[in-house]
Amino acid sequence: MAKESSYSASDIEVLEGLEPVRKRPGMYIGGTDGPAGLHHLVKEILDNSVDEAMNGHADTIVVTLHKDCNSVTIEDNGRGIPVDIHPKFKKPALEIILTTLHAGGKFSDLNYVTAGGLHGVGASVVNALSEKLEATVFRDGFEWRQSFSRGKTEGALKKGGSSRKKGTKIFFRPDPEIFSVTTFIPERVEKLIEEKSFLYKGLKLIFKNEKEGTEKVFLYPEGIKSFLKSLLEIENTVPVGGECFDLDRVNGIKIEVAFCWTESTSERVYSYVNGINTKGGGTHEDGFKSGLSKALRNYMSVHNLIPKGLKIGGEDMREGLVAVLSVSVPGAVSQLQFQGQTKDRLNNPEIEAPVDALTKSFENVLNSKPSVANAIVERISLAAKARAAARTASANISRKVGVSHRLNLPGKLADCSSTKPENSEIFIVEGDSAGGSAKQGRDRGIQAVLPLRGKIINSVVHAQAKLQENRELLDLVSALGCGSGKDIRLERLRYSKVIILTDADADGMHISALLMAFFYRFMRPLVDGGFLYLGISPLYRIKLGGGSREEIVWVYSDEEKERVLKERGTRGKVHITRFKGLGEMNPETLWETTLNPKTRKLLQVEVQDAVEVDAMFESLLGKDSSDRYRMIQENAHRLEVDV
Amino acid sequence: MATFTASLKQESKDRYLTYALSVVSGRALPDVRDGLKPVQRRILFAMLNNLNLRPSGSHRKSAAVVGEVLARFHPHGDIACYEAMVRMAQDFSLRYPLVDGQGNFGSMDGDNAAAYRYTEARLRELAIDVIGEIGEETVDFRDNFDSTVVEPVVLPSRVPNLLINGATGIAVGMATSIPPHNLKDIVKALIELSLDPELSTSKMVSIVKAPDFPTGCAILNTQKELVEMYETGRGGVRMRGEWAIEEQGRGKQFIVVSSIPYAVNKSTLVERIAGLIIDRKVPQLTDVRDESTSEVRVVLELAPGADAEVAMAYVFKNTPLESNFAVNLTALVPVAGGSCRPELLSLRDCLKHFLAFREEVTEKRLIFERKQLLARIHILEGLAIIYDALDEALKIVRISSGRSDAAEKLRARFKLSELQAFAVVDMRIYQLSRTNIEEVRAELAEKEKRVKEIDGILKSKTALSAIVRADLEQIAAKYGDKRRSKLIKDNVDVEFDETQYVVQEDVYAIVTVDGWVKRIRQTNELSSTRIREGDSILSAHALTTLDSVAMITNLGSLFVLKTSDFPASGGYGTPIQKVLKFKDDERIIASFGMRQGKEGASAAGMPPGQGELPLIGAKAVSVLPDMPLKDGDTLVLVGHQGTGFAITLTELGSTKRNGRRVMKLRKGEFVGAVGALNDVMVFVTKGGSALAIKRDEIPVRDTAAIGVALMGVREDDAVVACCGMRSGKAQGVLELKLKAGKSKEVPLSEVTRGHRGLKGSKVYSREEIATAQILIS
Repeated sequence: MAKESSYSASDIEVLEGLEPVRKRPGMYIGGTDGPAGLHHLVKEILDNSVDEAMNGHADTIVVTLHKDCNSVTIEDNGRGIPVDIHPKFKKPALEIILTTLHAGGKFSDLNYVTAGGLHGVGASVVNALSEKLEATVFRDGFEWRQSFSRGKTEGALKKGGSSRKKGTKIFFRPDPEIFSVTTFIPERVEKLIEEKSFLYKGLKLIFKNEKEGTEKVFLYPEGIKSFLKSLLEIENTVPVGGECFDLDRVNGIKIEVAFCWTESTSERVYSYVNGINTKGGGTHEDGFKSGLSKALRNYMSVHNLIPKGLKIGGEDMREGLVAVLSVSVPGAVSQLQFQGQTKDRLNNPEIEAPVDALTKSFENVLNSKPSVANAIVERISLAAKARAAARTASANISRKVGVSHRLNLPGKLADCSSTKPENSEIFIVEGDSAGGSAKQGRDRGIQAVLPLRGKIINSVVHAQAKLQENRELLDLVSALGCGSGKDIRLERLRYSKVIILTDADADGMHISALLMAFFYRFMRPLVDGGFLYLGISPLYRIKLGGGSREEIVWVYSDEEKERVLKERGTRGKVHITRFKGLGEMNPETLWETTLNPKTRKLLQVEVQDAVEVDAMFESLLGKDSSDRYRMIQENAHRLEVDV
Repeated sequence: MATFTASLKQESKDRYLTYALSVVSGRALPDVRDGLKPVQRRILFAMLNNLNLRPSGSHRKSAAVVGEVLARFHPHGDIACYEAMVRMAQDFSLRYPLVDGQGNFGSMDGDNAAAYRYTEARLRELAIDVIGEIGEETVDFRDNFDSTVVEPVVLPSRVPNLLINGATGIAVGMATSIPPHNLKDIVKALIELSLDPELSTSKMVSIVKAPDFPTGCAILNTQKELVEMYETGRGGVRMRGEWAIEEQGRGKQFIVVSSIPYAVNKSTLVERIAGLIIDRKVPQLTDVRDESTSEVRVVLELAPGADAEVAMAYVFKNTPLESNFAVNLTALVPVAGGSCRPELLSLRDCLKHFLAFREEVTEKRLIFERKQLLARIHILEGLAIIYDALDEALKIVRISSGRSDAAEKLRARFKLSELQAFAVVDMRIYQLSRTNIEEVRAELAEKEKRVKEIDGILKSKTALSAIVRADLEQIAAKYGDKRRSKLIKDNVDVEFDETQYVVQEDVYAIVTVDGWVKRIRQTNELSSTRIREGDSILSAHALTTLDSVAMITNLGSLFVLKTSDFPASGGYGTPIQKVLKFKDDERIIASFGMRQGKEGASAAGMPPGQGELPLIGAKAVSVLPDMPLKDGDTLVLVGHQGTGFAITLTELGSTKRNGRRVMKLRKGEFVGAVGALNDVMVFVTKGGSALAIKRDEIPVRDTAAIGVALMGVREDDAVVACCGMRSGKAQGVLELKLKAGKSKEVPLSEVTRGHRGLKGSKVYSREEIATAQILIS
């Protein structure tokens, strides 16, 4: 049992001054265990200097990481923190700012038009959590200095010698009592500085690393555009159309945005409000996205660039987009509203409209750069097409059980149960009529059936892009599993025999020729490797005799038919049926005559004379019909009216 | 299991060839003899032979026809087969339909026929003649696909179907497109050719005249073109819908289109015309209505006072109301051995093949008739023998034991053949009557006479062809009708003048700084026109819709855009890049109105400054030329770094869509300002420097050039304005338009006057200058 509590009024503590910061540092800087909180201190002081710069009073900030890596000095050439005595608190303003929470010059917009510092706690928080903090102010022709330790002054403000310099210099060493680690990581500090310099174009930031003895200058006249370019550089990509865009608006809410499209399929928007990274997005990002959609949509509709029947959504327009958006809201800091668990989502509704309006003007940029604009529009249509294709594909997906879980197989494919390519085979048949017979007649253990609908697209006249959009061929390629074109990977072929089994009529001949052309042109290794076969179905069924002595013979050619008739046709009644479509056969018949590996006939396709094959396909299926005309005239003797 | 190898090349080629040959011979091309493709032939044959759908009988469901054709002869798709039958029933597809359809068989508007479970069909009289003497051993038959029945290889058509109904089809490596013709004309040509095999093509063409389309319409080809087309088998027939004016009272007129070209979808046509009217491309027309019933009647409402000829000239040029029918007389021609091969034929070939075929059929028909006659004569002879010894015969029969015994005994006694003997014993008793015996004798004599006659004909080629001609004449008399497509000789068209289709209207042609263009009527308030946010008007030209606007871009190109091509818009208009071919980052820096068209002359003589609109409120940033630009005018072009020259422009009207180069630019240089050449030219830079130089300091060229330094400009500065003024008139001000939108006036006297290449002097330096102009007080 707990000891009886003596909980009374005297137990109620009121933390005064900076005590609360030291008691609950997490509330102010996020945490003290990792490096995040530690580096946050640098950010706080840096933000103050940047605010000074943003309001046009400073143009250079020097951040020095001292040799021990435990202390940092940040100096700007701004106006300097006021050092005169505050009329109400009767203390120098510098001291008030550094020792009092919620003290600062940014609550009204008299001195700061725009500010990233929050709530006037930054400097005092850093002070509270530092073992030692030394503030030096150059102002009014003198140097002023005051030291602090753990939030308490170490003596009054001292007026030093005269100086023509202007600005504020803050040295601080974080308190090991608070932070488990007090060593700064140079890269992290540098990154912080670089990010600031990107966001504030023209601001010169110098990072002095005394440990390494190095000095780096960060100055980006192009601001966030440089940021964007550095992002692309890191990823080693180039923007679509070779162009990055930037838009800005100076009056009122200051908005800057730089963006471009890449071949990547992801969409990345880095947004900032008054220099604060808003990872959760918010109204400014919404405004950017809606404005961008409007601009693109207007452009595409004015120039009739929207492909018929294609629905282009906002996400299609933003596929591959990389954007940096920075908004500076003038006025008191407290007007910024954040939302979300981590408070990184901007919630000020009034910001959306101006960002939207600015981004909409992107339409003019597109108009003035037709070639880049068309590259982007093409990129967008491609994204939209891919998305549409993915949608249809996902509607048709069925999965093969076993090793190939990952594969999205076309719904029409009747796969076999074996997952071992070496003993499975696939029949490509013509149409659903034949598909039905084949599906029922096959050995479902090792034989898969893929029915194609009608004639496939001519792979000689059409460009690869057109072929890749073709449903039938897409199904075929995905069923085979090995890809096509340059990306073909034969080891992923799911079957060891790819058997073209079309009907024995003229259209079947046509389809098989078209398929062979496709395999040859786009899946050449499959042909060279001897995986492609032609199935042979019988041409005739000959019924000899009648009644109980009835006998059925299947023959595969006219010559064979004549031979059979000659040898055995004398025995009375003969009935001959000409097979045309596989659908005419019962499944058992199809099995016996065509599918059964023990009894069937197969033709393995070989490229015997590679040189001539290309020319042959070109003349058979190419655009120029004169070769075909000649060929038909030459072969006219073979013309006979087919049924 | 048997696995053989096959060569990819050989196998593909064989298979493709099999397909190609099958399409050529068995699918897409008609036979020169009966003019039918296999599917059509099978449909007609099945309708008569299997379903007995004669014109005198009743209709039957199309499904029965399709089913029968598919089941017996044509193992292919049902829809394709039905569509083939439907087409044979459509009087707008076939000049002489072969099938009599009951129900919805589609329309000229592209409507499909009702499904085959709804419609009914039977053969038309003409189809019976196409099927012809099928039962008289005139043509070969072959087994169907499953050898259960036989089908004719070709139909012994009495009708020159290939030419009267035409055909179209695409095979492999070849295609066919045969226009329909008038039966009477074709029959006449056949007869003439039969009488005179050396008949000249031009004579033949003068008989055939031209194709005769089921939809009527006029044919515009010249005699020469037609002769060539019929001679070579290739060419094109230009077809045009016919129209007439209907007076509606109170001066209102309608153009009524009464026929449309063959194979043109009427509803699409009407939509196209409506589209032209909506887009105001033909101001002469105000409305279009399709009032067609079974007759074509498309009404175009004519605007009051408009010229119908002019309106129709536009419609003919821009809609399928005038269309071309490509002619390619390819058909399957029989070769020895019973097979066929495709051939490109001349008209003469087509006619000759048909005549030869008819002669062959007629001969076979006569041979068949003779065979039938001989068989009958044989029987009749038997009967005659018995009639001569009737009583004896009867006795033999009475004592015989049964039918075969009687026949046997008769044969023994009278030397009859078996056939004759059985014919005798199978006689009915009334046939022994006196009159009947007479009749038999008469018939015998008649049949023998006919056999002699046939023997005579078969011996004589001329007699045979006379029969062919007689048959043809009979066909022509039975089905012949008046020609529907009129051949327009000496067609004189109204000359096509595109300015006639522009509604003349006074407009402001507006060009904005961001490059958006539009036109608004001058009756509209210019200052209230919509401009996109952040944009402003570069210039607004008060012109008519017949005029043009010339634009010069920062990349040194000149573009000319007709005012009528400026979109008439209440909105923002369209970006210039939509109407003209601009390069990346190309933008308009100056634009000039150009007066052309009929009032061009008078307008060009207007005093300077007139015809152009002064600045419009604070929105406008305007670089206004002194006068409308015309051929021969000279403009001063200044690069942003002060280099420039003057160019004299000619043939402005023939500027292409891609523009023309008027200034050559160095790398990184762009055109800063443009102004009409005047006695004194004043240049102003962004940074506020100004310099005035005299006219003779500026080199004048007539093609694009780089020019000389006209003004020295600092690298970070740029020329933004170039304005001209007359010498002696220095009493004005230079109005500077500032970037922020305000303007500032500087007395002209403050501008340095000097030689070219000087830096000039600062006239203003507080803000960036956007542009400037001279205001003469």
